[in-house]
Amino acid sequence: MLNTLAVMGQGFLHALTPINLIMMLAGVALGIVIGCMPGLSAAMGVALMLPLTFTMQQDTALIVLGAIYCGAIFGGSISAILIHTPGTPASAATAIEGYQMTKRGQAGKALFTACYASFWGGLLSCISLYFFAPLLAELTLKFQSAEYFWLSIFGLTIIAGVAGKSLVKGLMSGALGLLLSTIGSDPGSGIPRFMLFGNSYFYDGINVTCALIGLFSMSQVFILAEKKIKERAQASKVTDKMSLTRAERKTIRPTILRSWIIGNLIGILPGAGASIACFLGYNTSKQFSRHKEMFGKGSIEGVAGSEAANNAVTGGSLIPTLTLGIPGESVTAILMGGLIMKGLQPGRMLFNEENAIVTYTFFAGFVLVQFFMLGIGLLGCRGFAQISRLSDAILIPCVTVLCVVGSYAINRLPEDVIVMFVFGVLGYLMRKLDLNTAAIVLALILGPIGEKNLQNAMIISDGSPKILFSSVICWVLIALCVVGILSPIFMSKMEKKAEANAIAGTTEDVEQLTEEDLV
Amino acid sequence: MKMKYTDVGVVAVFYVICGLFYSGTKKLPTESQTYPKFIVIILFGLTTLYLIQMIMNAVKHGTESGKSQFEGFQPKQFFVCLGLTLLYIIAVITVGFYVSTAVFLVVSLLFLKVKPMYIAIATVALLLLIYVAFTLFLRVQLPNNLLF
Repeated sequence: MLNTLAVMGQGFLHALTPINLIMMLAGVALGIVIGCMPGLSAAMGVALMLPLTFTMQQDTALIVLGAIYCGAIFGGSISAILIHTPGTPASAATAIEGYQMTKRGQAGKALFTACYASFWGGLLSCISLYFFAPLLAELTLKFQSAEYFWLSIFGLTIIAGVAGKSLVKGLMSGALGLLLSTIGSDPGSGIPRFMLFGNSYFYDGINVTCALIGLFSMSQVFILAEKKIKERAQASKVTDKMSLTRAERKTIRPTILRSWIIGNLIGILPGAGASIACFLGYNTSKQFSRHKEMFGKGSIEGVAGSEAANNAVTGGSLIPTLTLGIPGESVTAILMGGLIMKGLQPGRMLFNEENAIVTYTFFAGFVLVQFFMLGIGLLGCRGFAQISRLSDAILIPCVTVLCVVGSYAINRLPEDVIVMFVFGVLGYLMRKLDLNTAAIVLALILGPIGEKNLQNAMIISDGSPKILFSSVICWVLIALCVVGILSPIFMSKMEKKAEANAIAGTTEDVEQLTEEDLV
Repeated sequence: MKMKYTDVGVVAVFYVICGLFYSGTKKLPTESQTYPKFIVIILFGLTTLYLIQMIMNAVKHGTESGKSQFEGFQPKQFFVCLGLTLLYIIAVITVGFYVSTAVFLVVSLLFLKVKPMYIAIATVALLLLIYVAFTLFLRVQLPNNLLF
């Protein structure tokens, strides 16, 4: 116990080094810029910045990615409040009350509430990260090859079912990803498989980072390019003071606490994400509010409920990602990709003597990132609001260049750029046809892990498949796989109900939010 | 839910992928065949399940074109952007990074009707950012084949 506390303390000291602090500042600012621009997403930002972290120390790299993640989730609220267009789906509920406040000349108050609630939501989520992550990682000590095989299957079933309209299509996407992950050498015998065009480049398999950049960033460029480019609405001027009175802070305190719990639980639950949490946080704030009449007219409790919940997801979602290797959503899937690329394996390994300092430095960095988010958010809101108006016409070629340079920088191979482009086209088509890009990514990451552990288990058991059903943990994981497959049905009902409740009773202005904003 | 015609294409492509990978596995030594074959069978099963779902939807609820997914699609803008990106990637590899990037940015921004002043700012700012981040900070040797 004392040893753990000492490592935690050391983690804070490491996180406070100048390079880490500079990277937190840059990461949060970049994240907010990405988040506040409608059309760009947190996943896209993290994927695009992944190659930049390759030469960094492990802890610094993770801190940068975490900072972009937190910044982007918060950044979405700025455009939601000032131009009534959520920068990310995680801020769709914020737009409901936030924009009403702006119309009433309370943009400053709304932005302050969003900053303040995001800060507390994110900060409190770090508590559960510190508390639960090591405990859950301890559990993986009992895992052998068979259990790891089922764990990777569980990760796939849970993500295959979310974010899409059809469960079967989600599972098809996951299976396609698994098939693509077999390109390259057999992990057991080293025999090359499916070497496309006989090219030895594919011997190590498909480069996951290139696939990530293609699926999340390049495909987004194509999505922007297919639509008519429109001028974005002028950001409303912030005429009032950016602050809350003591009474107002007291009013939103219980809302923030409730939303923290909701956001955290949603984050821990694989498959759910910030877009669900914001609506649940918003609804709960409405249910418990003493000023229900203010909802739909510009309620600070509504803004606080939504923002605290979506930022509380960040810390929560890292728990299954770091401990079990099961990312709950696209951003954490990319973060996990970054983690593996930095030579860190999710699970107990992150908390052993060798890596604990890196992990706790990342945790400490995650705590400090929340303070940077508060500071930068409060000081730069007006500036970020102007950036959020940046036209798609400028974004399209600029993001393309970043995708190309980012994918080339990984190994300095032209083939990587081509793979990125192919996955960009694939990602675009998949998104248009309701297939699941996150499932492909996760399958590319988890596929080789699952295959390797399956082969190990078979070697141990002399080829008998009974080993896959030989322990209680195996059966628990099999049961979880079944739950994972069925979870989309419940998730979809929960999301629809939360959205319907959020919209019911609010003004018709709310209905102007497009379906795209809410999905 | 109505059956979308676009999903017929999805199912067809998935069957083709299954076929290609299945024939690929036959060329592998026996010990390396099992896992990929198992995945191909799963994908084939899921695709067939989806096909059955589609047929049931068509019988119960009817069909739709699926064009709504491409509503507001700007073919000229999309394909020019796609083509320019492809040309840009080829140019980066054959000509060199900085020259290709500058040309790509100017041409794309002109095509997307961005004002000249913004074109100049965006091109210079992005090239500078990449130079600082990748060349100076990360020390990545960007392609410089024919030109720099």
